[in-house]
Amino acid sequence: MYEKIIKIYPELTAEDFGRFGTILLQNDSDGKGDYIAKWEHPTLAKPTQEQLAGVQ
Amino acid sequence: MGTLVLNGATSGSTTIQPTDAATVTATLPGATGTIMVSGNMPAFSAYLTGNQSISATTYTKVQLNTKTFDTNNCFDSTTNYRFTPTVAGYYQVNITLGGSNAAYQLISAIYKNGSAYLYTSVPTGTGNGNIANGSCLIYLNGSTDYIEFYGWQSAGGVFAGGSVNTQASATLVRAA
Repeated sequence: MYEKIIKIYPELTAEDFGRFGTILLQNDSDGKGDYIAKWEHPTLAKPTQEQLAGVQ
Repeated sequence: MGTLVLNGATSGSTTIQPTDAATVTATLPGATGTIMVSGNMPAFSAYLTGNQSISATTYTKVQLNTKTFDTNNCFDSTTNYRFTPTVAGYYQVNITLGGSNAAYQLISAIYKNGSAYLYTSVPTGTGNGNIANGSCLIYLNGSTDYIEFYGWQSAGGVFAGGSVNTQASATLVRAA
């Protein structure tokens, strides 16, 4: 998920996803994989499923 | 030696006092005995058996799949990896999370009911493999409240397996 988002928004860094970041990626170890649990970035829109699916 | 059973009220306090307090001493426990203040105090300790692969910058639940002990069978080590104690009160909760590379930033997180309750962060380059230790007191209601343990690493990799690297524990320290 992180790699896909970075390809869509190359200006993001690991800090945007860290303790003080505005984006929270999560994996509940339930077999469902990584997901966006929170997206509060002030200028960038949350990627759509289509955008994410289109990233190789 | 008999057994003293106190029946009746389930709240308030009970005083044990000799009939002649001036001349009789009550000693608890005896010279070789043990007094158990509370026999139903939940406590558990569990650890991650093998390395757990994780994605970069993603809070990932730690799969604490091996129990060291679990006094009241309150920790789920097979499906949800969560502690749901059956006694309401204040719990001392601890996590030690081992990362895979000192070049990566590492965060351990204690979650209560699905939300972060405590973060502990270790910056990059702090040694030969980072370890993030977290500890706090949390109130849990003894029925629906639960805690889980998550970790985050700046560049993915693994959570290091083995009880000396990644483990968590909790115990009741004061009933509600």
